[in-house]
Amino acid sequence: MFRVILHLDMDAFYASVEQRDDPALRGQPVIVGSPPTQRGVVCAASYEARKFGVRSAMPSATAGRLCPSGIFVRPRMDRYREESRAIMRIVAATGAVIEQMSIDEAYADVSALCQGPDADASLLQAMPLARKLKEQIRAERQLTATIGVAANKLLAKIASDHQKPDGLTLIAERDKVQFLRPLPVRILFGVGKVTEQVLQRAGVRTVGDLQDYAGDLRALVGSFGPKLKQFAFGEDDRPLELGDDIKSISGEETFLKDTDDRKILRACLREQAADIATRLKRRRLGAHTVQVKVRYGDFKTLTRQISVEEPLTEANDIYRMGCVLLSRGKLVSRPLRLLGLGVSNLREPGAQQLPLF
Amino acid sequence: MKLTITKEQLLTGLQAVQNIVSTRTTLPILSNVLLRGEGQQLSLTATDLDVIVSCGVEASVAKGGATTLPVKKLFGIARELNGSEIDLEVDDKNVCSLRCGPSFYKIHGLSADEFPPLPAFKDDRKVTLPQETFRGMLRKTSFAISTDEARYVLNGIFLSLKDHKVTMVATDGRRLALVDEEVDISEKSQGEFIIPAKAVNELNRLLQDKGEVELKYSENQAAFTLKDEKGFSILIVTKLIEGNYPNYRQVIPAEAKERVPLVREEFLHALRRAEIMTSEKANSVKLTFGKNNLAITANSPEVGEARESLAVNYKGPEMAIAFNPKYLIDPLNALPNDEVYVELIDELSPGVLKINGPFLYVVMPMRLS
Repeated sequence: MFRVILHLDMDAFYASVEQRDDPALRGQPVIVGSPPTQRGVVCAASYEARKFGVRSAMPSATAGRLCPSGIFVRPRMDRYREESRAIMRIVAATGAVIEQMSIDEAYADVSALCQGPDADASLLQAMPLARKLKEQIRAERQLTATIGVAANKLLAKIASDHQKPDGLTLIAERDKVQFLRPLPVRILFGVGKVTEQVLQRAGVRTVGDLQDYAGDLRALVGSFGPKLKQFAFGEDDRPLELGDDIKSISGEETFLKDTDDRKILRACLREQAADIATRLKRRRLGAHTVQVKVRYGDFKTLTRQISVEEPLTEANDIYRMGCVLLSRGKLVSRPLRLLGLGVSNLREPGAQQLPLF
Repeated sequence: MKLTITKEQLLTGLQAVQNIVSTRTTLPILSNVLLRGEGQQLSLTATDLDVIVSCGVEASVAKGGATTLPVKKLFGIARELNGSEIDLEVDDKNVCSLRCGPSFYKIHGLSADEFPPLPAFKDDRKVTLPQETFRGMLRKTSFAISTDEARYVLNGIFLSLKDHKVTMVATDGRRLALVDEEVDISEKSQGEFIIPAKAVNELNRLLQDKGEVELKYSENQAAFTLKDEKGFSILIVTKLIEGNYPNYRQVIPAEAKERVPLVREEFLHALRRAEIMTSEKANSVKLTFGKNNLAITANSPEVGEARESLAVNYKGPEMAIAFNPKYLIDPLNALPNDEVYVELIDELSPGVLKINGPFLYVVMPMRLS
């Protein structure tokens, strides 16, 4: 069977939801995040704000300087989650198999719906489907989406990044090697800042340079070498990772003011533990590892984790582990900017071991 | 320092102390063994700051003194030497010259002054018992020590010296092992403390079947002196775990409805076989007691199933109870007895394993979901 993968990416998702819900914001530079007078970062920016150079993850104060006319809106995560579910329902209704990557991004495998005589004919069959999907999201949710169509996840993502917003790009199998040539190596999955620097030092800047690289890439990037070479030629056989298989659950909070007030920190951990426990219960999972994360005023960030034999499911137990980690690592030695709690190593609990005490 | 020692004596000493040396330590001195030559003895000491292990071996010391040397290196060299007599000479810069037959080595050490000092003990709280007894008690309890760092008071063996009895208890909160022995304990030596798992491991490793062990303790430390008949002695000093050990007496069931004698080996092997058919998701074995029969079953959807039948002397009503097999196998492995007794109340109450002797093991069942 020829693979046909869509990558669906909602355009400036949080900002678009805000603009849709409040007509006064339409056409305006909307910045979702903390106000510029407070600490905190930009979660999303409308395209009007992006023209000023505002980007997500940028400190709000910087965004305020770059875009003085920007309208700052507090994020409403519950609203976005609800919207995300509605959109995913529309995607699922096409019969696609879905891997949701984040709140506003998903892969959809439509191979079963689009089989032609060869790989590229199959991809072409997905175009009407993708157009209809975009149309439906626009009509039912008044939001725009960008879709990339290709024969694997790597290329589908690159395709959706190619033209935004409201884009639809197909990378044909026939053209993929040429399509990738001029793009920077950073576009490839698995190439981050460090790998990019290593490659640049070896004179490798574009995907084309990678394709032409005569030496053994393992000397540069270790065991990632063979995979990187494949990616450079647009080959990728990673399957979609399907929904129920979550690996970790976590939450974190940035405080308005750095704090080492035990009462505030405990309340924060307790809330995060309760949230994690609820989500564990919904999936009937138990956690074998608990992790805490702290960030100090100077942005130094530390994490500590602990593993336990018996699966944790109760908020109180997760909270207790969080406290143990904080006190054992003496992490609250100075005020915290951020405190996070997470669980991983999730398993379905089997028979339940009863405690002696 | 200058001395001559047999390869055998040096290895004996190094083997006794080097186990406590951690391979990754932040303080370089902790990778070293303290060597002190005096009279006809070389004493060797190593520590990880929580536990100190020290022992003395025979040597002919020409010039007394002390130094510290990297223990893994010294042990590595000594083990491979091709000769029986070793000459050690240490200069005032702590460089050790080692000669043995055709071999010559120079090992750079660190000053003995940098080595953490041995704590002093008052002599008033102590008890002495045969090493064999002490070793047997450790063996019957140490498997139940908790490894859960979040419950650090359980990361050791609770030891009580009271009413002419030494009692040891270990638990991880799901099962508990208890053993006691009668010993002479003076009034002022009575007390309770928790020995950390690391020290228990060293004791398990170093205790012999012969000789005696003398135990001394203070508020926050305990010292064990192991002496064999030839006078060879090992000293283990450990910090104690601070905190209150849970009230273990309250989890020991008062009386059992059913007491079933079992042949230990038979029971153990059946469990070991059945355990193979458990999995991460289905990690329990079910014990079903019927008339004169015990069925042990395990069932994992993706692995398969096991069914074992044992003839037992049981006349009570049919009862099924599930356990983590490891929690039954551990004590059965540790016990030397031919016969054990299982006592049960119902499928959600703790089960008890006993022998003809001062040993008790309490284990909570698993609730089948």
